[in-house]
Amino acid sequence: MDEVFKALADPTRRSLLDELFERDGQTLSELEGRLPMTRFGVMKHLRVLEEAGLVKTRKRGREKLHFLNPVPIRLVHDRWVSKYAEPWTAALSGLKQELEKEE
Amino acid sequence: MEKVFEIYIKTTPERLWEAITDPELRAKYNFGVGVDSDWSPGSSYESVHPAAGIKIAAGENLEVEPPRRLVQSFTALWSDDVKGEGTSRVTWEIEPVGDSCQLTVTHDQLPEGANSELFGGWPMILSGLKTLLETGEELTTPGSLRYSGAGAEEWS
Repeated sequence: MDEVFKALADPTRRSLLDELFERDGQTLSELEGRLPMTRFGVMKHLRVLEEAGLVKTRKRGREKLHFLNPVPIRLVHDRWVSKYAEPWTAALSGLKQELEKEE
Repeated sequence: MEKVFEIYIKTTPERLWEAITDPELRAKYNFGVGVDSDWSPGSSYESVHPAAGIKIAAGENLEVEPPRRLVQSFTALWSDDVKGEGTSRVTWEIEPVGDSCQLTVTHDQLPEGANSELFGGWPMILSGLKTLLETGEELTTPGSLRYSGAGAEEWS
């Protein structure tokens, strides 16, 4: 989980994830074209994301496509976010249901 | 469109296969919804929400190779919106790694710009599957309970 936090602690890597969220399965050249950064820089960041399991690659013919794997973020959420933040959301959505039932 | 979901779970391929194909185990981490099939190659499967009585999904088991590989066609049925998205494909691949398994779920043959409801549930499902197999417990974050048991009205 340290690797996931480390990978997310960089604005360029977060933009790479946003790029893949918008359009999954991009090549290195496509991603390079969208960021103000050298090919080498993009490769370096992609490697950190891959090591954290946040990006998976698949070969398609001669191309290597990059896919966002959102599962590690979900694991962080289930372990570190929901405990602190979600009871409020759940309580409010429960309240909403109760109020709507009475109408 | 293709989506890839990967998770590492400390378990054996056999237990993982059972958790994916056994209706009762499946319901524990799959929004309360199990899956019914005889799991022979070419057989059909169906998922019905037990509390709400609504058909959630259906399809065919295109390739069945326990405990390593399962390929299914997938038609979402939980709303008119998702019904309109047609049939896609879900591939489960189990790869033993040390004392754990790498589970990869590839959801592809999705239409371009497909409704994210079709594939948006996978991270929560896989997180719940990991918790179940590693701790024997069910995930109890409010989000994971929203669609199961008492929260079944969310389906209607």
